[in-house]
Amino acid sequence: MDPVLYGYMLYGVSLLTVGGMYAILALGLNVQWGFTGLFNAGIAGFFGIGAYTAAILTTNPHTSHIGGFQMPYVVAAIAAMLVAGVIAFLVGKVCLKLRSDYLAIATIGLAEIFRLIVNNETWATNGPRGISQIPRPFEGLPEPINQFAFLGVVLVTLAGVYWLMEIARKSPWGRVMTAIRDNETSAKAAGKNVETFRMEGFVIGCMIMALAGALMAHYLKFVNPQTTDPLLATFIVFVMLVIGGSANNKGAILGAFLVWTLWSASEIVAPRLLEAIGMTDAGIRSAYVRIFLIGLLLQIFLQKNPQGLLPETRPSSPGKNSS
Amino acid sequence: MKLVKQLAVTACAAAMFATAAHADSIKVGSAGGVTGPIAELVATIVKGRDLARDQINAEGGLLKGDTLEMVIGDSACDPKAAVDAVGKLVNVEQVVGIVGPSCSGATNASVQAVTIPAGVAVLSDSATAPSVTELKDNDTVFRVAPSDAYQGLAIATLVNKAGIKKVAMTYSNDDYNAGIAKVFEEEFKKMGGEVTANQAHEPNKASYRSELQTLTQGGPEAIAIFAYYGSSGITIIKNSLENGLFGKFFAADGMFDQSVIDQIGADNLKGNISITQASSDTGDASYQAFAGAFKATGADPAAPYAAHGYDATFMMALAIEKAGAADRAKIKDALRAISDGKGEVVRPGEWAKAKKLIADGKDINYEGASGSADFDANGDVSGVFAVNVVGDDGKWAKELLK
Repeated sequence: MDPVLYGYMLYGVSLLTVGGMYAILALGLNVQWGFTGLFNAGIAGFFGIGAYTAAILTTNPHTSHIGGFQMPYVVAAIAAMLVAGVIAFLVGKVCLKLRSDYLAIATIGLAEIFRLIVNNETWATNGPRGISQIPRPFEGLPEPINQFAFLGVVLVTLAGVYWLMEIARKSPWGRVMTAIRDNETSAKAAGKNVETFRMEGFVIGCMIMALAGALMAHYLKFVNPQTTDPLLATFIVFVMLVIGGSANNKGAILGAFLVWTLWSASEIVAPRLLEAIGMTDAGIRSAYVRIFLIGLLLQIFLQKNPQGLLPETRPSSPGKNSS
Repeated sequence: MKLVKQLAVTACAAAMFATAAHADSIKVGSAGGVTGPIAELVATIVKGRDLARDQINAEGGLLKGDTLEMVIGDSACDPKAAVDAVGKLVNVEQVVGIVGPSCSGATNASVQAVTIPAGVAVLSDSATAPSVTELKDNDTVFRVAPSDAYQGLAIATLVNKAGIKKVAMTYSNDDYNAGIAKVFEEEFKKMGGEVTANQAHEPNKASYRSELQTLTQGGPEAIAIFAYYGSSGITIIKNSLENGLFGKFFAADGMFDQSVIDQIGADNLKGNISITQASSDTGDASYQAFAGAFKATGADPAAPYAAHGYDATFMMALAIEKAGAADRAKIKDALRAISDGKGEVVRPGEWAKAKKLIADGKDINYEGASGSADFDANGDVSGVFAVNVVGDDGKWAKELLK
């Protein structure tokens, strides 16, 4: 195969792989923000909990961090979700009483606390140096089949999460969630236990985020505190969900693939644009111009299209069907 | 909509224009945290890389007059961004080798996830984490910045030169100090020395008397301490002196602090303690050749890792020249050949000379601005270190280790 074509093919695989992991994150956020209306600005924290749990459980023994359990990937992924679920429950007990923007502030703080813990508890996480040599499913297969195989793992996981979230959305549970989001008082008046439902939404969303984190740890083969940097682990996920269409699971997935492709490919296009208009130091400048351009694009898009690409569609209620 | 179309046309035209203009260019990736927490540092490191590129292109370029093109990839000091950026350099830009990335974490992730499987040589100019050494990299990962652990070699050389044959050692049980201690033990034994006892200790204990008692067995002449001064180092020296267990100390930079002298007393330590520290040899001809040219561009040659950035780029270019083709596999092998300590010395700025030597089939040995830059079996360099001893004024006095 022509090396240039082969290169583009591998780049395409990496776009889909990373896009797929972000799509899982966006689905997790969709449960919280899209359906329940919870402003969780600490995505990076739960993503990080998943990544670190998977890293510690699957790596070989090493002097620099705890772990070396060499557990199977599936066990580690489930453990990552359980750990995140328990932490989300404890956090929810304290924070879910807070309303929208206060919850956002509290969850940002939590993500930051998590980052400081992994940064400083060197005995467990190797601190800023991070955990290296994390295994990746199917990496033993020859190039490039192993990359396609891992892409398969990501896409199958994504499909599974999407399927479950669609069932949840169409179920009575999902309808209660949107009711709470749109009018909490009337949901309460209808006899729904709002606190419990909010907690369920929060915990489930966080567990999905941890699953994405676990996949990311295997993909990068390395985690350190920088991996939970909010720009590419919290804010970009909100952008994905809002652009794709909040409260629409297909929209969350579409937004994730689209925004990630835009973000990644802009690095290829931006320096060439700057060079074409005769700017010196195009390489360094373009790194900043790129961030500016994406921000601008988002502004324009959201002004024109506040509903996102795929707006919310309400499942038909059983009552309507029967009448 | 019209505007969007126009933009798209411009972008396509730009892409085509770019390809056409650089038909004879050989691309090398210049990965680094251009945005992110160390953006300031990276800006200067990239200037160092660009200086090397400009000098090379001014003196005949690569191979048959091809231009060396450095393609920036923003690793943002974030493993996620780094894997994406380096992936694009390898797959889309089709670079023949990569200089950078800057942060250890970004380097660790991107080489494991992208370049090792792809077989592309990576030469980092500022990743210092010892974990990079351990990677099974098929000899594709190199660096001109010394691993933190390489201080162990500097201390071993120091102890050996002091004529000490038997030494006891103790290290604080953390990644940093354990890494240095491990290298020290290996290297000191290679030099024919004997490590009589080696014991890890937990930091922040009130006393290390019992550990030190054990360490005196076997008749050591000195003790090497790998610890942080505040959490255990000062206590270890105090306990040793109070009980007459050890009188001579060697230590790594975790022990470097004025409070060591202040708390123990200059008289007690003078002539008896040596502490190593990473440094750069500003008197060296290679450094000065680089510094002169770098200053002329308005940049600061003493900026962290700027000299390393220059060296890494120059060496990557030498490797391409030596390989004789823009071929990834040949370039990774050639990287070892151009700086293995054998052959005619080439210094920063001497591109035309190097080109001629390679054309004549002679061996060359690049002596960099940041140090001799000779790779060991792991693709690491030993770096340049200084030793601190107690000076007459009761302060640390620094001296370069050669």
